[in-house]
Formats: sequence, C-alpha cells, structure tokens
Amino acid sequence: MDPKTNSIIKIEDLHKSYGQEEVLKGVSMEIAEREVVILVGPSGTGKSTLLRCINQLTTPDSGHVWVRDVELTDPKTNIDLARQHIGMVFQSFNLFNHLTALDNVMLGLIHVLKQDKEAAREKAMLELERVGLANKHMNYPGQLSGGQKQRVAIARSLAMEPVVMLFDEPTSALDPELIGEVLVVMKDLALEGMTMLCVTHEIGFARDVSTRIVFMEHGNIVEQGPPSKILNNPSLERTKQFLGKISDLH
Amino acid sequence: MEVFTTLIPYILRGLNITLGVTAIALGFGLVFGTLLAITRVYGNKTAARLISVYVSVIRSLPHVLLLLIIYFLIARIVNLSPYWAGSLSLAIISSAYQSEIVRGAILSVESGQMIAARSIGMTRNQAIRHVIIPQAIRHMIPPWSNEAAIVIKDSSLVYILGVPEIMRQAQYYSGRNPTKPFNAYLAVAVIYFMLTFLTNRGLDALEKKIRIPS
Repeated sequence: MDPKTNSIIKIEDLHKSYGQEEVLKGVSMEIAEREVVILVGPSGTGKSTLLRCINQLTTPDSGHVWVRDVELTDPKTNIDLARQHIGMVFQSFNLFNHLTALDNVMLGLIHVLKQDKEAAREKAMLELERVGLANKHMNYPGQLSGGQKQRVAIARSLAMEPVVMLFDEPTSALDPELIGEVLVVMKDLALEGMTMLCVTHEIGFARDVSTRIVFMEHGNIVEQGPPSKILNNPSLERTKQFLGKISDLH
Repeated sequence: MEVFTTLIPYILRGLNITLGVTAIALGFGLVFGTLLAITRVYGNKTAARLISVYVSVIRSLPHVLLLLIIYFLIARIVNLSPYWAGSLSLAIISSAYQSEIVRGAILSVESGQMIAARSIGMTRNQAIRHVIIPQAIRHMIPPWSNEAAIVIKDSSLVYILGVPEIMRQAQYYSGRNPTKPFNAYLAVAVIYFMLTFLTNRGLDALEKKIRIPS
C-alpha cells in the first residue's frame, strides 16, 4: 500500500504482545487532518498500548506506523525527531516535578528545539495563557491541582507545535469537579482544528467534539463510526452494552 | 598548655591532608559512582552485570584490605605519590557504595518522568541529564550524607601507607610522648567529630535549600 496519503496518522496491522498476552492483534487505522478520534473500550483492550505504539514509546512487535508520511516503525527513522511533533498527554500528568510550570513548558523548547531562553519563555507563556494558567507559571507541580497539572502538561505538548495530540485517559486520575477544566481546554483545541486521538470515557466530550468513535476490544477495533451513529445506534450489541455502562457512570 | 602549643598544631598539620583525601575520595567516588549507576540502570545487560559484580566484591571486603590491594595495583601501573594513590583507592571503594546510592535515587524517580521527557522528543541522554538526575540528586542527599561520614573516617586508613594525615600525626605524637597517648587520640577524635558533624549539617542545609516546593 502506498503510504503517501494526506492522513496524519496511518497504522497498519499493528501487533504487540506482553509475554503470552497479545494486546494488539493487528490494528489498522487512519486519522486524517483535523479529525478528533475517540478510542473507547474496556480496560486491558490495548487502547493505551496502541497510543504508545504510535510514538514508539512502546515498540510494536510488527506492523507499521506513519505520522505525516514518515514511517516511525522504520529503524532508520530518527525517533526523537519524530516525537517532537507528536504531543502526548498522560493519565498521571507526568509533569517534571523539579521544575515550575513555566520551566516544564520551556524544557523541550530549549533542549529539543534549541530555542534561546527568551524566545522559549515567550512561547511557553503563550501556551500557559492558552490553557488559562499564565498566573501559575511560577508554581511547581506540587503546588497545582490535578486539573491544573494536566493543563500544564497539555501546554507543554502544545509548545512543541505538534501535528497531532495523543491523549491517554487525560481525565481518569482527576476528581470529578476538576475534569471540566481539562475538557474545556481539549474542546478548544479540537475547535481550533488540532488533530487528536483520545483514549477517554468522557462520552459527553465524544458527543460534542469528536468526528469518530472507535470501539476497541481484545486488541482489535470492533466497530467505529461518527459519534451520532456509535452513540445512538451502534451496529453491534457489544458496543451498545459497553457504551450503556459508561454512560450510566457519567 | 602543652596541648595547645605543641599537640594541636602538630596534629593540625595533618588536617589539610585529611581534608584532601576525603575530598578526592568523595569527589572522584561520586563521579565514578554516578557513571556506574547510570550504566547499570540504562546500559546494556552485560555492563550492568559487570558493575553489579564490581559493587558486590567491593562491598564484601574490608576497606583496609581493599586499600592495600588497590594501592599496590595502582602502584604497579603508574607512579603516584602515596597521597594520590591512597586517595584514589578510597575513591574506588567509595564509588561502589555511591553507585548504589545514585542507582537507588534514579530508580526512585517515577518512571513517567522519563516517558514524558521522551514524548517531547528528548533523547535518553537529555532526559537523564535534565529530568532524571536533577530529581535523583534530591533523593540522594540523605544516604549520601551517610557515605560522606564514612569516607571522612576512612580517610584515616591511608595512614597505613605512611600518608601524614591527622591519625598518623596523632600516632607520631603519641610515640614521642608515650606517657600521654590519650591526649593525641582525643584531639583527633574531636576533629573527626567536628568534620562529620559540620558536613552533615551542611548537607542538611543543602537538602532544605533544593527541596522542591509543594
């Protein structure tokens, strides 16, 4: 197949096993520019693994991944260079604990993009403003709430000007009253046209901003389609059952 | 009066040497120990295995025995003064202990820190340098303070090589004044206590100073 397409992410027949357990059983998927794709499914079905196999934080056993026509699964690809343009947000935030919010956002600009300190600082402040936290720029992660930490983490990714943002359960570790502020930031991003792939159980968010919902189970994509179809009238009984359960929770 | 006019000045002549030996042993031991720890955590399996053998051998032998063995090994290869050869021997001994301290500190940094650093495009070396080590240093100070106390006292071991540090000076003094051996040894005891106490106080202060606000 010709990898030269206008898609941002292209995944072909991805396999990954941990010991005896096959977590990804040949997943293929394509994400076009400006798409907001929501990945749902029971825990342990390989959603997070799929995300990590995209930017090669986890090395897949076989299969191919392209981001903007660069094959990341090609051993000749400079993966550090490629990752600069793939934003990733984690369930546990993973802010650099020893740095202020501002320095968290600046670190990549300085050491990866080799910007000078002044330019990096200016850019970092802009990104913190974008997530509504310019006034917290001198705070350390330990001085921020969970929601604020996650917004700083989003700013840290955005500062690198990614072509796509990967969200790995960004609100799952948050107290219910803090989820909203993170979703607002994510929603704004989606409306600005950012290409996004999100593992989340926030069905409201999926309904409002996603272009596609992908339902995964046992290492495979079981069903996918626009949110109106998947949420209101899924083809498979299993999808309906699962979505029914998580809607009850929210 | 004689204590102040003769004994203390005589022993203090060895103080610079004690401080020098300690600084060399701790300093080189830290650099070498850090490299060992980083290689053991992030390097390939063979290197990690070799380092673990190195560490367990050194930890299993008395320091005084190691000092003699390493000293004579060094003396065969290069022509160093007993001061430098002795200090570097202590550094090699300390590096094994310090590598364990640094390794523990590195492993206590959450794994997500490395993942996040790599996800913004940092190389592994950049991540180690700018994300892992700065946090590991903070975890390291209390156990390192313990090692510093041990090395201060171990600096006295070089006296068996004839290096005139304070312990050696005290022994000379006692030899010349056999009727009062107690005074000289008491004086060095006070000096070791002061050195250890001040070092630990200094490190406590450093620990507070670089503590991450929360």
